[in-house]
Order: sequence, then structure tokens, then C-alpha cells
Amino acid sequence: MIPLLKRVAVILAAASFAGALVVAMLDLPAPTVHLPAAVEANMAASGVAHPVTAVLLNFRGYDTLLEVGVLLLALLGVLAVTGVRAAPRAVAPAEPAKRMLARLLAPLMMLVAVYLLWAGAIQPGGAFQAGAVLAAAAVLLHLTGILPGWGAPGPRLRVSLAAGFLIFLAVAGALLARGALLAYPPAQAGMLILLIEAGLMVSLGLILAGLFLLLSRDSGDEA
Amino acid sequence: MTDPVAWLILLPLVWATGAFVLGPGRGARLAIGALLVQCALALQLAVEVLAYGGRTHPVGGWGAPLGIDLAADGLSAVMLLLAQALALPLAVYARAYFAENAPTVRYFWPLAGFLLAGINALFLAADLFNLYVTLELVGLAAVGLVAAGGTARQVAAALRYLFAALAGSLLYLLGVALIYGAYGTVSLETLAPLVDARAPAAVWIAGGLMLAGLMLKTAIFPFHYWLPPAHGGAPAPVSALLSALVVKASFYLILRLSLDVFAPLAAAAATVLGLLGAAAIVWGSWQALRTDHIKMLVAWSTVAQLGYLFLVFPLLAPDGLALQAGGMQAIAHGLAKAAMFAAAGVLMLATGRDTLVGLAGVAGRVPLTLFAFGLAGVTLMGLPPSGGFLAKWLLIEAALTHGQWGWVAVVIGGGLLAAAYVFRVLRQAFLLAPADSRFHPVPRSMEWTAFVLAAASVLLGLRGVELMALLARGAA
Repeated sequence: MIPLLKRVAVILAAASFAGALVVAMLDLPAPTVHLPAAVEANMAASGVAHPVTAVLLNFRGYDTLLEVGVLLLALLGVLAVTGVRAAPRAVAPAEPAKRMLARLLAPLMMLVAVYLLWAGAIQPGGAFQAGAVLAAAAVLLHLTGILPGWGAPGPRLRVSLAAGFLIFLAVAGALLARGALLAYPPAQAGMLILLIEAGLMVSLGLILAGLFLLLSRDSGDEA
Repeated sequence: MTDPVAWLILLPLVWATGAFVLGPGRGARLAIGALLVQCALALQLAVEVLAYGGRTHPVGGWGAPLGIDLAADGLSAVMLLLAQALALPLAVYARAYFAENAPTVRYFWPLAGFLLAGINALFLAADLFNLYVTLELVGLAAVGLVAAGGTARQVAAALRYLFAALAGSLLYLLGVALIYGAYGTVSLETLAPLVDARAPAAVWIAGGLMLAGLMLKTAIFPFHYWLPPAHGGAPAPVSALLSALVVKASFYLILRLSLDVFAPLAAAAATVLGLLGAAAIVWGSWQALRTDHIKMLVAWSTVAQLGYLFLVFPLLAPDGLALQAGGMQAIAHGLAKAAMFAAAGVLMLATGRDTLVGLAGVAGRVPLTLFAFGLAGVTLMGLPPSGGFLAKWLLIEAALTHGQWGWVAVVIGGGLLAAAYVFRVLRQAFLLAPADSRFHPVPRSMEWTAFVLAAASVLLGLRGVELMALLARGAA
């Protein structure tokens, strides 16, 4: 139990910091640089029609490249810690009705994922959302006992986990020939972004699913 | 096609992912081959910067502030050179170390590759948000490396490190958000002319938050609490990478931001940073004098040596002396500390123990390694002709030029304390081994890499002119 005095001190410190932040924010002048205008002006050359996708995959595509690396790295961290343990035990199968529902929903969710990927070019969506839906389908199948948890991933799974990032890297490297990293030629930008996003959808789906399926084995059998 | 700036980031990402695809425990040869190329690239970049000055690489061809720029100047070229020069011998060392110790760290190579990619990307970044992403890469990879040993103590140290690293990242990110709110851009180049001493309060708060976050990541006193268990507990090659390189990355960022965008605000914090540096030197050295474990001694020595880097801040001036001193200290300590952890790993393998008492008699068994440890100690003490001597000389010169005599006493006192803890190890090593002690043979490649790193840290003092010229380019 934390002493009362200490708790009051922490609460007061946090509250005064929050207060200072609010006061400082209310005091902010209008920003000097107006980036949304620059995004608007360059949309035609970006290869997609939705500004968020244009920023994520084109204008600031380099940030996204590194962020995908961060996700793969997070999975590596989990693997490095858990990989030494025994293979997972299969989950007990759920009631027939739940399993039926999961079997019906999983293909639909894959369809939704592909739609989200495609829609990303013109409206909110894209590889990250699509990958999250794919991962959710995997989690659903796992919870109903259809898909077992993961042990140490084999070669084929490792390739699939890394494929999206490798495609992104390959495109980035190949475009160096045009003078700069990730400098898409405007005419092919749409195609290349779709290629990158398709790879990312699969790999991100697997990575996010892996974060769940690699750790799920701890439920029960070690308690 | 051969722009080293882009390839220094792409190449480690490619071999890290490749090593992951190859599987647990594999990828050493791939890594060493790629690191040879990276060394050549860093050298090419350094030569080009020395000849033609700094340069930018507009990723995506858009240019800041719409796109993201990469920027290389003297300071980043020096740090890149240091990173590749440390990583190559440590990779050779790690290959032998993990062959000897069974594959305790199953995903060492991919984690090390991501770490190096993050560090290279950080040294080249010129955008506050992009810097945040590189900090995440570096932090997560480093935590993974500490945890990957798999023992309960290592996982606990890693978790503590993760909390410190995450808190640091979030403080930094909050600062970036405030800056974006105030100016509408996160590009360093665009921000530099906009920030001045009359900046709104939000910018001051942002500067303070970012500084606090980065200090937490650099483990400067009193934020050092997470460092000794994390660096002291990890496998030797990991400790070497973390102590020699990773803490320098966030220091570099503090230095870069206070020279550049936050220069008008930095003066307010400079004296405090210097005083914290002085406290780190005293406290770290004192703890290194008290510990019984050899790797904890080396880890506490890192806490102390980081202190010198922070003495730079109150002395920063247009003459560039303090900047050169900071750069030299980063290089000298990086090489010496990598050598020391590498040597400590050999000593622990040879004796099978991790305590100072267990070192009795190693002088006769692994003399080359002990010599390496001693040479690295010479650099930490700051004896001529080592790189450490050059760094401390420059620091003292800068302090005298500005009439700030107090820092001189700290630098000299810190050198004496370093001598005291280095001699604790050497004295023990020359004692006679107890009759029942057994020594395990150690691969020659591990002994030689430790020696090469240590020798480089000492000989650096003789070849410092080019590096100083390069650092002078970094004052821009």
C-alpha cells in the first residue's frame, strides 16, 4: 500500500503538469507551416486518392517502413523470450455453435480484409487495418479450438512473417536508382503502393496474430 | 545507386530480416559479410563529408517538410563510423561466443541487425518524428537482446529497461506532438529558424519533456538505475553493444537537438546537465569500486563515463572545442567499453565465475585478454596517448578557455577514480591462482577482437586529427 502522503504528492504533481499542458496548449499560436495544404497540392502525384494513405505510404513512407520493422522486431522480442519453451498444447474445442460461427466468420473476415486493403486507396483503410482484421480472424479460430497456438515458427512461417517487410525494402532499394529512397515514379506509384500494402497485409496479419498465438500457450498449462 | 546514406539503413534491415528467415542461431556469416560492406560505406561517407561538407537525402524525392529528409554532417559521419567500427569486431566476437555458450540467445543476429539499423537511421535522421521511430527500433531491439538470454534475472532486468525506454519514448513523443502543434512541422531544417528564446510556453515544455525522455534513455545520473542490471546481466557481446553504442545514440540526439533546433533554449539547462554529469562520474565510479562482480564493475564504469559526455553541455561554444571533446569521448569510451566487456566475457568464460575474487591467476592463462582490459583501462583513465586522454584534454582546454575551473577538477578526479577501479581488476588478476582452480580454453578470435578494440581506443589518440576535422564539420 502506498502511503497517503506519497499518493497525494503524485496526484498533485500529475494534476499540475496536466494543468500546465492545458494552459500551454490554449496559448498556442497558429502553426507557421501548413502541411495539409502541401499534401493537397501533391495528391495528384502520390498515386492514391486518400490523403492518409498518401502520407503513410508515399510522403512519409520511410516512417512506415521503419514502423513495420518495429512490428517485426516486437514479434522477435516475444520469440526470443518464449521460443525456448515446449511446444504449445492445443486449446480445448469450444461448443459446436461457436465453432460453426467461427468457421462461417473467418472467410468473411478475410474478404473484409481484402476489401479494406483495396478501399485504402480512396477512403480510410489500408494494410494496417486489413492486417488487424486478418489477425482477429486467426484469434477467433484459435479461441474456438480450430487453430492451435504457435510453437517455434518453421521456415515457411518465418518467410511469410518477413515477406511484407522484405517487399517494402526491395521496392525502397530498387527506387534508389531514381535518385532517392522510395521515390516512386508518379505513373507507377499506385501499383507499387498496392503491391507493398498487399504484402504488408499478409505479414502484419501474421505478426499481430503471432503476438497472440505465441503467448496463448501460457494460459493454463503453466499455472 | 551507391548513396551510402540510404544503404547504411537498408543493408542492416535486409540482413536482420534475412537472419530471421534463416532461423534461430543462424545468420552470423551474413551479418559479418554485410558489416564489412557497412564499414566501407561509413568510410566513404566520412571521406565525402570531409571533402564536400554535409548533405541531405530527400526520401521519396519530396523534400522536407512534406517528406522526410536524411542528413549527414561531420557529427553523424563520425558516429556512423564508430557504430560500424564497433559492430564488425563485436560480430566476430559474438559468433565465437555463442558457438561456445550453446545458442543461449536464439535470435541474436536479427535483433542485432535491427539495433544497428535503428542506430544508423537515428544518426542520419533530420525529422523529430522519424527520430522517434528510430528510438523505438533501437529501444525494442536492445530490450530484446537483454531479455533473450532467457534467465529470470535477465528478463527482470529487460523489463525494467523496457519501462525506462518506453517512458523515455513517450516523454519524447509528447514533446514532438507539442512542437508539431506549435509550428506545424517536425523537420529539423524547417524548425531551426522558427524556434527562438521567445517561443511559446508549449515549446519550452516540449523541450523539457524531450530532454527528460532522452536523459532517461541515456541513463545519466539520477536516471541510471536501470543500466547496471541490464548491461551487467546480459551476455557479453550484448553488454558490449549496449554500453558502447546504444546509450550514445540518445546522447547524440540530446547533443544534436541542443546544437540545432533547441539551441536558443538549451542554455537554460546546460549547467544542470553538467552538474548531473559530475555527479554521475562520482557516483558511478564509487559503485564500481564497491561491486564484487566483474561485469557490474564495467557497467557502473559506463554510468561514470557517460558523465563526461554531459560535461560538454555547459562548455558548448562556437569554437567547437566542447563538441570535439564530446565526439572524442563518445568514440574513445565506445571502443574501450566494447573491449572491456569483450574481455570480461573472456575472463568469465575462462574462469567459469563472474566475481572479482575468481579472477586470481588469469594473468598467466589469458594474458592477451588481460592486456586488452588494461589498455581499455588506460583509455578510461585518460592516460596519453589514448583517445580518452585526447577527449579529456579537449574538455579541460574548453573549460579553461571559458574560465570554468570547476569542471577541470571533475575531469581529473574522475580519471583517478577510474584508475582505482581498473586496478582492482588488474591486481586480482596477478594474484596466484588457488590450487583447485580450473581454466577453460577460450577461442582465440574472442581474445583478439577484445585486443583489437582496446588497441584502437589507445591508438585513436595518435590519429585523432582526421576525426577532429570531421567533427569540426559537424558544428554546422
